[in-house]
Amino acid sequence: MITTSDRVIEEMGGSPIRSDILRGHLDSIILRLLKDEDSYGYALSKKISHRTGGRFEIKEATLYAVFQRLEKKQLIESYYGARSHGGKRKYYRITTLGKAYLYEMVREWQEVKEIVDLFMEEIDE
Amino acid sequence: MKRLTAHINKLFETLPETEQTKIVREEIIRDLEEKVADLIEEGKSEEDAINKVIVEFGDIEEIRQEMDLPDSNHRKSELARLNLGFSLWGSGLIIALFVFINFYYTPHVVWFIYPAFAVAWWPLSMFYHLHRKKLEGRE
Repeated sequence: MITTSDRVIEEMGGSPIRSDILRGHLDSIILRLLKDEDSYGYALSKKISHRTGGRFEIKEATLYAVFQRLEKKQLIESYYGARSHGGKRKYYRITTLGKAYLYEMVREWQEVKEIVDLFMEEIDE
Repeated sequence: MKRLTAHINKLFETLPETEQTKIVREEIIRDLEEKVADLIEEGKSEEDAINKVIVEFGDIEEIRQEMDLPDSNHRKSELARLNLGFSLWGSGLIIALFVFINFYYTPHVVWFIYPAFAVAWWPLSMFYHLHRKKLEGRE
């Protein structure tokens, strides 16, 4: 997992908001959104850019890579939803394992945030 | 829309055609079509919408890395191993035949060593081939 994200980071670049730091939390972000309701790729990417006010837009290639990764780890599972616009759409739902993983990630993030804040917040202007 | 499908199909050409990649490709095309439809609704022309979607798609390499695709290098070295095995058995049999003919018909003259050397080139070259594939795979 670490090697994969490292490799991905090397290939990044471009606008700062799509930075490595955010990238490391994409799994958590997708899991968090799927915890609210089952969804499919495009709906999730719309939700992400909407919630961030357009400051973060996930690339499709990245999004589907996340799906593959999460499904492989059995944190999410997919199923085919009702027909719409002349075809079946693939939905994703979070698994019990996924929920457990998400809680663990949230707990870890809180801790990381506190630690980073210790250093980042005491800078004099 | 045809242009969009063609573009995605082309991106996927670099990936081996498996059931998994087919499913993902279909899924991506469907989602991107919806995105194009949304952009057109926002007032973009179809051409602009498709261009935007293609540009924003990102790098297919990311998806490839997450998929458990059969490693082509690994497969090549498997094949090379098979070649070597076949050449070993094959040359073994041929040399055994020479040995038999040699000692059965001309037991006083040992000549089988000459054709044996010639035949030995076969497994030797296959061994070289396998070794090379292994080195290539490591890169």
